[in-house]
Amino acid sequence: MRAATDDGRRAMIAKRWGRGLLISAFSALLVIYVAGPVAWLVSSSLQSEADITAVPPNWLPPKVTFGNFEAIFSNTTREVTYETRRQGDPATGRFLPSGAENLLPALWNSFTVGLWVAILNVVVSITAAYAIAVIHFKGRQAALYTILATRVIPDIALIVPLFLVMRNLDLVNTRFALVVTYLAVTVPFTIFILISYFEQIPRDLYRAARADGCSHVQALRHVYLPLSLPALVASVMFAFLTSWNEFIFALILTQNIASQTLPIVISGFVMDFTTSFSFVNAAGVIAIVPPVVLAMMFERYIVSGLTAGAVKG
Amino acid sequence: MLERLGRQFGYDERSAALLVFPVFAVLMVVAVYPIVYSFYTSLFDIVLTRPWRRPFVGFGNYARIFADPQFWTAVQRTTVYTVVTVSITTVMALFVALLLNEAFPGRRLLSALILLPWATPSIVNGLMWKWIYDPGYGLLNGILVQLGWIEKYIVWLGDPDKTLFMIANAAIWKQMPLAAILLLVSMKSISNDLYRAATVDGANVFQRFLHVTLPALKPGLMLVLVYETMISIRHFDLFLIMTQGGPGDASYTLSWQIYVETFRNLKFGIGAALSYVLALATFILSYLFIRGFGSKA
Repeated sequence: MRAATDDGRRAMIAKRWGRGLLISAFSALLVIYVAGPVAWLVSSSLQSEADITAVPPNWLPPKVTFGNFEAIFSNTTREVTYETRRQGDPATGRFLPSGAENLLPALWNSFTVGLWVAILNVVVSITAAYAIAVIHFKGRQAALYTILATRVIPDIALIVPLFLVMRNLDLVNTRFALVVTYLAVTVPFTIFILISYFEQIPRDLYRAARADGCSHVQALRHVYLPLSLPALVASVMFAFLTSWNEFIFALILTQNIASQTLPIVISGFVMDFTTSFSFVNAAGVIAIVPPVVLAMMFERYIVSGLTAGAVKG
Repeated sequence: MLERLGRQFGYDERSAALLVFPVFAVLMVVAVYPIVYSFYTSLFDIVLTRPWRRPFVGFGNYARIFADPQFWTAVQRTTVYTVVTVSITTVMALFVALLLNEAFPGRRLLSALILLPWATPSIVNGLMWKWIYDPGYGLLNGILVQLGWIEKYIVWLGDPDKTLFMIANAAIWKQMPLAAILLLVSMKSISNDLYRAATVDGANVFQRFLHVTLPALKPGLMLVLVYETMISIRHFDLFLIMTQGGPGDASYTLSWQIYVETFRNLKFGIGAALSYVLALATFILSYLFIRGFGSKA
């Protein structure tokens, strides 16, 4: 009898250990898969050109150098040629591309465009989502489907007409053109998120507010907005990240540094094969930090917001 | 007059119109107009190197596309890339969601960490993997040689047989987290009673997965498949930054063909028609997925 329970307990313990081992192994693999490539990006941004072109590669910088970051933030220009890079001699300088000084203005452009998109996106989406989700007006389904259908056409198809529109309005090479364009990308999705959120709010609250004499704008302000804070945070984050990461529209709509965003300037470095690897990686690290920090900080909101529509199935 | 309008359309209608107006104004300019104009363009033989003559050709551009062998190459490349990306992303996401559905210390930290690829800009994703694959100094070659799995450094992106898969790998890295999160949410909505009942009936882990988890995951899986297919079939950024359609035409996908026809050959008519073919393909595929899953459920 005692032996039997002992066996049972041992089996239980073995099973629990097995489960723990399996979960640890899987978790470790996942961490390496997700963070490994980025860790290598960061590691190579901190190496000198000689260290970065070593064979076999240095997993960690043998000697940490912030030269690339200094160059980006202190606005110096130094020429680099294919030959000097291949020599891999630290004495030939830090291998900076001639456009290095463009990174700082591009960073600023990315921030301002992202902020404007985040604000305007949520402002125009809130009212439309409220109208479609709450007010039972004729044609609300049609309004929703029209908004969502605009996302079916591939972005690349919209670029030529958009470019012509912006040129006619004399807006090419302005950040304003990017802000307006990005709204076309973010607004449909934001409205979708907000509608599914608004519909979960009990309708009795709306009826009570209206019975108390609230107008629609007041009902939106005093009932719906305070109750949908997570969805609003998610929308702001989503819009900023979309704007920060967007590439193809900016590639066509902006051709000078007054309006170019970070991805455009960085892609220029990547396709110029004379640019130092460590410098390109440093530029990549700078572009990756703001969205990653925001995503980690607001992880809970983003996940609940992104999946708000999905839960209903 | 105004009064009569006011009576015909109640307060609700008027408020709704006012509240929806800003969105429609914006979308009109940056989405609806370009979409319509783009279709209009696709009916003309517009070549920018010959701006004075732009004859109406009806669906002639579409006919020319389907007769172009380059188009069928692009279809083939796009299909391979999409099938590989979507299937591997979905399977990996399923495993990650199963892991994150368990209760264990560090689970919260892990689910925040997997947002890292999702938040990474696609251009940085491209440069990062291009550097990892680098034929001279990349990490991938370094690791494989140090492990003794390969003798010499391999040219990964420059090899026509490998390049599509290498790009797909970079795309999977970025797309897997969101797919995992979407699946995790549908998993969380499965009632624990179902598992308990299955356990009482003597079902083991795999049987529980097969008969409880998987059927309940259908809506989530469908969403992931539709979303990932839509993203992959029209993906552009990685192709521009990693291979530019090459080597040769090894990564010449449909979105790359649209870019080349429009911005390099300046054939706006053909480019617009290609975009509409791609949009239609996306639409049909999504519909088929939804229908297929709907009938089985």
